[in-house]
Amino acid sequence: MPRELSIVGILIPTILPVFLGCLLLQGVLDRVLTHAGVYRRLWHPALARLCLLVCIVGGATAWLYR
Amino acid sequence: MAQGSTSFPDLPAWLAAQLRGWAASDGERLIFVARSAFAAFLALWIAFRLGLDSPGTAMTTTFILALPSSGMVLEKAFYRLLGTMVGCAAALLLIALFPQQAPLLLAGLSLWVGLCTAGAALHRNQQSYSFVLAGYTACMIAVPALEHPAGVFAAAVTRATEVGLGVIVAAVVHDVLFPRAHGRQVQRTVQARYDSFLAFCRQLLDGQLTPAQAELAHLRFAADIAALESGRAAAFFETGHARGHTRQLHAFNGAFMAALTTFYTLHRLRHRADPVSPVPALAAPLHAVLADALDGRNAAALEQLPAQLAPAAAAARAALAAHTGLAPGTVIDAETAIELAERCATQLAAFATVYGGLARNERQQVSEPQAYAPKTPPGIVLASGARAAFALLASATLWYWLAWGQLATSLVMTTVFCALASSSPRPTAMVKQVMTGFLLATPLTFATEFLLVIRASDFAMLVLAALPLFALALWLMTDPKRAGIGIGMAMFSSQFVAPVNLMRYDAMGMVNGMLAQIAGVLLAWVIFAVLLPGHTMGNRAHVRAALWREASATCRRRLGHQGGARLRHRFDNRVRDLLSQLNAAAGPTPPAATRAVVREGLTLLELGHAVIELRVLLAAPTDGPVPAALRTALARLAAYLRAPVAGTNAAAAAATVTALLDAGTAIRTALADGRCEPARAARLRTALADLHAIYTSLLDQADDTLDPTGAHHAA
Repeated sequence: MPRELSIVGILIPTILPVFLGCLLLQGVLDRVLTHAGVYRRLWHPALARLCLLVCIVGGATAWLYR
Repeated sequence: MAQGSTSFPDLPAWLAAQLRGWAASDGERLIFVARSAFAAFLALWIAFRLGLDSPGTAMTTTFILALPSSGMVLEKAFYRLLGTMVGCAAALLLIALFPQQAPLLLAGLSLWVGLCTAGAALHRNQQSYSFVLAGYTACMIAVPALEHPAGVFAAAVTRATEVGLGVIVAAVVHDVLFPRAHGRQVQRTVQARYDSFLAFCRQLLDGQLTPAQAELAHLRFAADIAALESGRAAAFFETGHARGHTRQLHAFNGAFMAALTTFYTLHRLRHRADPVSPVPALAAPLHAVLADALDGRNAAALEQLPAQLAPAAAAARAALAAHTGLAPGTVIDAETAIELAERCATQLAAFATVYGGLARNERQQVSEPQAYAPKTPPGIVLASGARAAFALLASATLWYWLAWGQLATSLVMTTVFCALASSSPRPTAMVKQVMTGFLLATPLTFATEFLLVIRASDFAMLVLAALPLFALALWLMTDPKRAGIGIGMAMFSSQFVAPVNLMRYDAMGMVNGMLAQIAGVLLAWVIFAVLLPGHTMGNRAHVRAALWREASATCRRRLGHQGGARLRHRFDNRVRDLLSQLNAAAGPTPPAATRAVVREGLTLLELGHAVIELRVLLAAPTDGPVPAALRTALARLAAYLRAPVAGTNAAAAAATVTALLDAGTAIRTALADGRCEPARAARLRTALADLHAIYTSLLDQADDTLDPTGAHHAA
């Protein structure tokens, strides 16, 4: 993967669109988990949500830059 | 000794109680201070590590986002990011259109800022913060770029990066570190509202409530409705907030507004009732059933209320039929009272059902309710936009004329505060508080910078040096009365204390910058004090005009295909929203003039609901004397509602009353005819009750202009 993407002459770090995509994915997962009632059983739902995001972003970057 | 031995085992309990009390009050505040300071220094540290150009911006962002609950932080963070992006794009576009053409650029910028501020004033929720930010971010980037248009892209990227960093850090820290969930607060608000509404209904049925008290209660409830909506919007961003919950909360607000309106009508009816007529005696058992159910404080009992009321209503109807020789007006009065009690029961039951679902935290199938959307009267919106645009032009002129380079900073500050304060009911007071914060922070920042920060050799030392000042500012932010001072202090000091990567200690430059910022806020204050000072949020005259417009809109707007339910709900929303604006401006003890507007608004609410019901009845295209007479009455009423100025509409009111009387006569002849089928007779009776409601509301409204005794009763 290239480190930077050139969009109409503007260089953008690849990780930025990847991050935004991960946020979207997280939003979808969030909705599913809330609907399933998973968050209600957790001690610290916000922390779980953050960790989930870190895992998704980390996984995506590791896969892209392997 | 004996005393000691009895009190000794209580000591741990006493200590625990004291600790709990402390943790709930000062403990909460300390945690907030610690959390916010941690977010600020974390953002600063990351900005240093990444080598960003002005790390102070990231830190300032975390201070701006320092709010008590995690939902509020996440919401504001999201809208801040959005606004910054739009603002950066606007700045790039403006610079590209007018490179190195200062007058044109400033004119375009003031137009943009005016539009954004008007948008912010229109919405009055956190979305409006996006508008504010879009306006002043454009100003922040475009103004310094006037001299170096080539650097504008870098400036925009820097600003977006730093705000983004601050937003992410603040969101993570406030959401994860000792979070205070807003969802639970919303739950408590719902509970409190349910209890206070039931208490209000009980007092009303007991006859303990004077009209003035009822008006104040309506003002408070309107504020509660708005507060619940904004709390719901914040909780939406928290973990585990389900979509269904949002719908339930909308339904809760909707059911509450409907019940409140009906109870107000009931209250008015009881106040108007003639004590010698048999109506109060007929209605008393019905009210007793209602009061009984309310007293039980049992949601399950309330949900069964319509069924419980049915026998009493049937008995009352039978008693009414048994009475002979009553005047037709009295009969209608009694029928209205019975129908109203039934409607109260239905709506209370609906409200209790929605509340029960929320309280037991179970999912309910709620039919698509309409969201409560705040909206400001257009006069105020236009004034806010014009004021912000003028402020920018004025300070740009000053900047050009004085040629003081730092004045660009001051221009940005003026724009920021003109935009921020335009959605406050008392903008001058708000700007004054922030200015107090700035003035207090000036010597403290100077001392911190040149006595402490200058000796700091590494990041830990820097934290130690700057912490006292920031902690003081954050502590002030937790005090609702001094929050503005705290925000001012934090914003001001974080911009000057935060060191840049290549540290410079330039006392003259700092004094220059400080003066410019204070001058900018001062200019914003002057502009709010001088330019259209009456056109602020919740201004009585504007709210009153808007209430009349909404009432007249009920005569014109499309009914939709749900039997007018959408229109009715929309009307309820708008009136309650206007009342909540009035409440925000009036403060804790509203003056008599405000209460007069509330009274007018509530009468218009009754009028509007009766109009909608009549229009629903008339929706079927039928001819004959009755629909024709009703249509005439509605047309006259619409004309009356379009002319809200007292005095000039007396003629319109008189014409409306005549038309109402004619329509009433037409309906009564049709009913006396005895040839109409039962369904039609029921519709005619409803129409008659609506006419009666409109008639009495009109008499209340125009008490001074019409003689209420002359025409008593014919509708």
